[in-house]
Amino acid sequence: MIQTNELTRIFRAEEVETTALNKVNINIEQGEFVAIMGPSGCGKSTLLNILGLLDTPTNGVFNFFNENVAGYSERQRARLRKKNIGFVFQNFNLIDQFTVFENVELPLIYLGLSAKERKTRVEAALEKMQMTHRRKHYPSQLSGGQQQRVAIARAVVSDPKFILADEPTGNLDSAHGDEVMNLLGELNQAGTTIIMVTHSQRDAEYAQRVIMLFDGQVISEKLSSEKSN
Amino acid sequence: MFKNYIISAIRNITKSPFYAFLNIAGLTIGMATFIFILIYVADEISYDKHNTNYSRIHRLESDFTIGSKHDKFAIVPIPMGPALQLEFPEIESIVRFRGIDNTLIIYNDKEYYEDNFYYTDSTIFDVFSCELLVGDLKNSLVEPNTAVLTQKIASKYFGKENAIGKVISTGSGRQYKVTAVIQNQPENSHLKYDALLSASTLAKEVGEEEFNSMEPNRFWNIGVYTYVMINKNSSIQSIHDKFPDFYDKYMKSLGDQFNASFELMTTPLSEIHLNSDLASDLPTGNKAYVYIFSIVAIFILLLAAINYMNMATAQSSNRSREVGMRKVMGAEKQQLIGQFLSESVLLAIIANLLALLVVYMFLPDFNGLTGKALSYSLILEPEFLGLIFAVSVFIGLVSGSYPSFYLSSFMPLNVLKGITTSSGKPNLLLRRGLVVIQFFIAIVMIIGTFVVSDQIDYLKSKDLGFEKENLIVMELQDSAFRSKVEVFKEALLQNPTIENVSNSTGVPGDVSWIQVMLVEQESEMKEFAIILAQCDYDFPSLLGLNFITGRDFDKKMGTDDTAAVIINETAARQFGWIDNPIGKKILYGMELDRSGGRSMKVIGMVEDFHFNSLHNKVEPIILFISQVPRFFVTARIKDGKKATALEHIEKCWHETGADRPFNYTMITELQEEMYEGEEKISTIFLIISVLTVFIALLGLFGLSSFTAEQRTKEIGIRKVNGATLFDILILLYKEFFWLILISFVLAVPIAYWRLSIWLETSFMYHTEIHWLSIMLAGISAMVIGLLTISFHVVKVASSDPVEAIKYE
Repeated sequence: MIQTNELTRIFRAEEVETTALNKVNINIEQGEFVAIMGPSGCGKSTLLNILGLLDTPTNGVFNFFNENVAGYSERQRARLRKKNIGFVFQNFNLIDQFTVFENVELPLIYLGLSAKERKTRVEAALEKMQMTHRRKHYPSQLSGGQQQRVAIARAVVSDPKFILADEPTGNLDSAHGDEVMNLLGELNQAGTTIIMVTHSQRDAEYAQRVIMLFDGQVISEKLSSEKSN
Repeated sequence: MFKNYIISAIRNITKSPFYAFLNIAGLTIGMATFIFILIYVADEISYDKHNTNYSRIHRLESDFTIGSKHDKFAIVPIPMGPALQLEFPEIESIVRFRGIDNTLIIYNDKEYYEDNFYYTDSTIFDVFSCELLVGDLKNSLVEPNTAVLTQKIASKYFGKENAIGKVISTGSGRQYKVTAVIQNQPENSHLKYDALLSASTLAKEVGEEEFNSMEPNRFWNIGVYTYVMINKNSSIQSIHDKFPDFYDKYMKSLGDQFNASFELMTTPLSEIHLNSDLASDLPTGNKAYVYIFSIVAIFILLLAAINYMNMATAQSSNRSREVGMRKVMGAEKQQLIGQFLSESVLLAIIANLLALLVVYMFLPDFNGLTGKALSYSLILEPEFLGLIFAVSVFIGLVSGSYPSFYLSSFMPLNVLKGITTSSGKPNLLLRRGLVVIQFFIAIVMIIGTFVVSDQIDYLKSKDLGFEKENLIVMELQDSAFRSKVEVFKEALLQNPTIENVSNSTGVPGDVSWIQVMLVEQESEMKEFAIILAQCDYDFPSLLGLNFITGRDFDKKMGTDDTAAVIINETAARQFGWIDNPIGKKILYGMELDRSGGRSMKVIGMVEDFHFNSLHNKVEPIILFISQVPRFFVTARIKDGKKATALEHIEKCWHETGADRPFNYTMITELQEEMYEGEEKISTIFLIISVLTVFIALLGLFGLSSFTAEQRTKEIGIRKVNGATLFDILILLYKEFFWLILISFVLAVPIAYWRLSIWLETSFMYHTEIHWLSIMLAGISAMVIGLLTISFHVVKVASSDPVEAIKYE
């Protein structure tokens, strides 16, 4: 489903060049739950951003459903993104001035669905996340765990091919964190591909496979069960 | 999708209502000012266009050159129109108007004093469009002693009775039968008549032959307003082209005799209101003000738009997460631009609706200020509303342009992590530039306000060369009373509150008699057209004129009543007598062959005094003793005794036998009337300056909130490293200090240049642009500017550094 070949991303400031990703080769199949780990600055967020079509590689091949999207324009990427990818962030990134319902509805608006269709889908997603009773609340009225559940509802509402999660439990205490991880696990069980960046060993255990990055390079790929043994 | 944009827009308004208020207020003020100026300008340029044939109608005007004096008049000799029509087939029709001011009209033993009655030819209705209410236009005004009244006058005299066939009479006993009633003249007509009297009445009185004579001497007397309507396929130019032959035929013989020439000028009907600066003209508009206000309107809109840009971008951090998330979810840049543009257009339309409300509320004040009678229905015309809405959409797009491109270009990666400053620097430069533009405009307006008000002070306080205080002027309208003027004077002087009284043909502020005289030159007598005032012995002393050389009129001299003349310095200079004017000869009232007339010698020369407004240069004027009682009586009353004096004057007025009610003006009032236009402009300038300054302050407020937010972290770090509150305040104020200083430095030369032109072209006598005014404008802009930003500066400077540092 996703396959990179010698994927490289170099950031150029005025006089400094930083290689964030250095010839990364990864391959992710449909239905997998993959965790990307590594110390700060290892390039994992950069990798996630490229996989999420938010950023473009400097060099290399990025096959997205057998289509090399490495050189795609912003507009092309936006179109692919809205159909295929759901995002979950560490800081939730809910829009403060929108209600829970409106936040979850937002991706559907850009997909051009009818109001009726949107309502059905948003209700279903909120139901799944057990947030229906909070649909008219604003993010500031919710706890962190609840906010992240809304964010996950928003990520899945458009029925994406896969979900990218960037430190989804980073701002949560362990109880809420587990709750969120369980939800992601359930989504994966139901067939959604999940790619997650994390610092947390504990969270990584939910994944089937862990890719370790160091200084922009993949240094190991292990099945999660092997590691825990 | 659009609904979602609207929700987003409205939530953002309700989230920070204060900003939204400032934003909409700025746009509303801008739009309201724009609408006011728009209707003002629209009215000014609409003059006389209600006439169906306005494009074919031209007014004839005169340019006389007599001796070395060049005089241009809005009127032409009486036979000019008919003679031109006779000679030029291009002319389809002509019509003449002769106004009679302050006329006594009697109907049913009731007396009315009317100002806007005109004698006119029956062809008026061929040329000008009028709406007939009752009667018959075709045959109206053909017969002598007929009249056409406007609705206003007809209902004043006859109430609801049928006006047709009623007879009104003038104070002098002429009678007029009403033949038609027409709709009142629209306000935007340069010639506003209340009633028309048939010109054939005059013809009957002086005799048809005399009245219609085209003898040369009839062409050398100024007479009447004359309008020509040319044929559909002709141009006025062909009349100008052929005029020299006409001149040779009708006017040259006599003109050559006294060294005079004449040029015909014309002005298209629709341009008269804004383009005339001729003598004897009706009140006209001022093109300069139309230009100035149009520019100001655009400035104000620009200010409001800039303001919006500043405020919207200042708030960008509130929107960055929304932008980021929308992008992550697949929103394309164009969609986001569309979203923010529709938001700004929506706000502009809201502001526009509020502006229409503001205009509605303040229209009466605006009318009072401009002396117009504009109605709200004008604004509700579909074209007008359409234009206003188009402008508001345009302003919405302009205001939203920069914020929408700025916001939509946020990198989603950065904003979602809370980094908004990545592209902050160049934007800050642009935003500072916008604030500089705003303050530039505001400072120009403030300097303008100061200079206009300086000029008015100058006009009011300038030494006019005579003592203008405590002078009361009365008009002796009827001849019976006028003949008893000496008795009246005597009676007035009985009371100690009356210091001096004089009778004359003109008073300062109202001198308009010009006549051709023969003036002594080196070898011969030469023609000069000279302004004159005939008066009694007391006139120079009443005005307190200052003699440079020679003496005042003196009854004891015996010959002063016929042979003495007093001239002003300018006259002496123009006649080449400045070194020794005494004894020089002037011949007044001679025949065309130079025979007869009253020969006078100069007995005194006075310092120039301003007998007209300071818009005009002092011209040569001569004073000599009148042989008959004259129109004006001027009395100087004791300072502070006005009430007692007036009581006495009124008593004398009635006891001497005046048949009109007692009426007077102070010379100072006449003086003030001359500068009413400038007073109005001054007030308008003041209001507009206050508005521009206010809008500029809103912009500054927006920018300061933005930079304060941007620099929170920097300031936190500075504080941790030992900066005091004072250091931080200096740091923050310094930036804005420079911005306002730059605006000031840019504004001064532009304001100086533009205002110098205004002063020099509008006033013969004007104030200098004081550096103090300019400095004051700069300092006030600086002070209120710095006060405005204090809100944010103090807030951020005194914030807790720990909070600031963990900001990200």
